[in-house]
Amino acid sequence: MVSLTINGRIVKAKDGEMLLAVLRREKIDVPAMCHHAAVEPFGACRLCVVEITRAEWKGWCDYVTSCLYPVSPGLIVNTHSDKVNELRRTILDLFLARHPDCPEIAELAGEYGVFKTTYETVVGGNNCILCGLCTRICDRMGFTAISTVGRGHGKEVAPPLRQAPPDCVGCLACAENCPTKFIEYKLRKKRVTIWEREFELLTCTKCGKTTITKDFAEYLSRHRAIDAGYFEICDECRRKNLAVSMGEIVNWERELLT
Amino acid sequence: MSYRFTVSPHLCTGCRTCELACSFMHAVEGKRGATRIHPLETGFKELWVPVVCLQCDDAACVKSCLVDALKRNPETGTIDLDREVCVRCMACVAACPFGCSLLDDQHNLVVKCDLCGGDPACAHFCPTHALEWKPIETVKRKQAV
Ligand code: SF4
Ligand code: SF4
Ligand code: FES
Repeated sequence: MVSLTINGRIVKAKDGEMLLAVLRREKIDVPAMCHHAAVEPFGACRLCVVEITRAEWKGWCDYVTSCLYPVSPGLIVNTHSDKVNELRRTILDLFLARHPDCPEIAELAGEYGVFKTTYETVVGGNNCILCGLCTRICDRMGFTAISTVGRGHGKEVAPPLRQAPPDCVGCLACAENCPTKFIEYKLRKKRVTIWEREFELLTCTKCGKTTITKDFAEYLSRHRAIDAGYFEICDECRRKNLAVSMGEIVNWERELLT
Repeated sequence: MSYRFTVSPHLCTGCRTCELACSFMHAVEGKRGATRIHPLETGFKELWVPVVCLQCDDAACVKSCLVDALKRNPETGTIDLDREVCVRCMACVAACPFGCSLLDDQHNLVVKCDLCGGDPACAHFCPTHALEWKPIETVKRKQAV
């Protein structure tokens, strides 16, 4: 355990823990678009920037991305100093120029009082902030179906050779966790299409509700030893089944006793 | 003292008070959460079974989670879902053989019973003692969940 000071308050944390995790635990709100606790920190969006100093720094301070900064004893943190807010405003101003049609960015920028970009607006762009959260989550899950391709202006997230990715199972975690909801997928009755690949959705044999994709279920049975039969029925019908089978036992006992 | 959560279906009247207690207990930002416990009809007369996570030893939900968001809590013995880590892939929802890992679609969160961190609200509110939270010495072996 170490002690540090955050916004004038003494806070305890584990040595080496990332500062953003401590801020979250202390319910201190710092924007963090590229962060997700399932994956290693990456430092792409820069929005989680905070001001740090130490007694021995004699008034000097530094600005670091809190998601990537391990805490140590005696650290003094300010999450919303004028300078930090100004830095965040600049980042959001740049984001606004690059992604003028992104509601998530507009909302956050608005919270920091940035309503119009002071830079030249990029035309013909998209809402991907290239934070790589989708690709990191896909890697973490063990699929690595997508990655960033190209560099500089041409950089984008895409499957290999920009073709329907063979390693994708259609779990949709990339789309589900994209901070700007840029990754699209189409749900059509019993099918879902993502990254231009179409997947069949499993349907509950009792009620017909769709659940996960067939490919995802097969992956889980093969690699995680989950009984393939579990996937045939939806969660709601499985609860009902459990009630009925337990009911049979309880009823049998009840009849025995009366 | 160590406590156990017990479910005695023959005492359940299907009043669904536990559902209310659960969803208020698991409210998110002041809005009611999805209930993790479901008193369901069995097809037998006057018999309901409160269906709730069994905190399995070799749990399918844990095995299915590719990002390790589901872990046994050594203090409560429950399998807890870390909301921050979960990527909402729905694997555990599809994998649990009892349908006890579920989607809270109001808040777009995957949720499961955590015994309220070790003092289940449902047991406190159950008017018929079909759900109980009691010292382990007083639990009959057969009853223990
Ligand atoms: S959620 Fe389902 S698989 Fe997981 S411990 Fe509970 S009953 Fe078992
Ligand atoms: S929905 Fe969340 S907890 Fe369930 S398997 Fe996926 S990541 Fe793990
Ligand atoms: S959350 Fe730290 S840089 Fe994006």
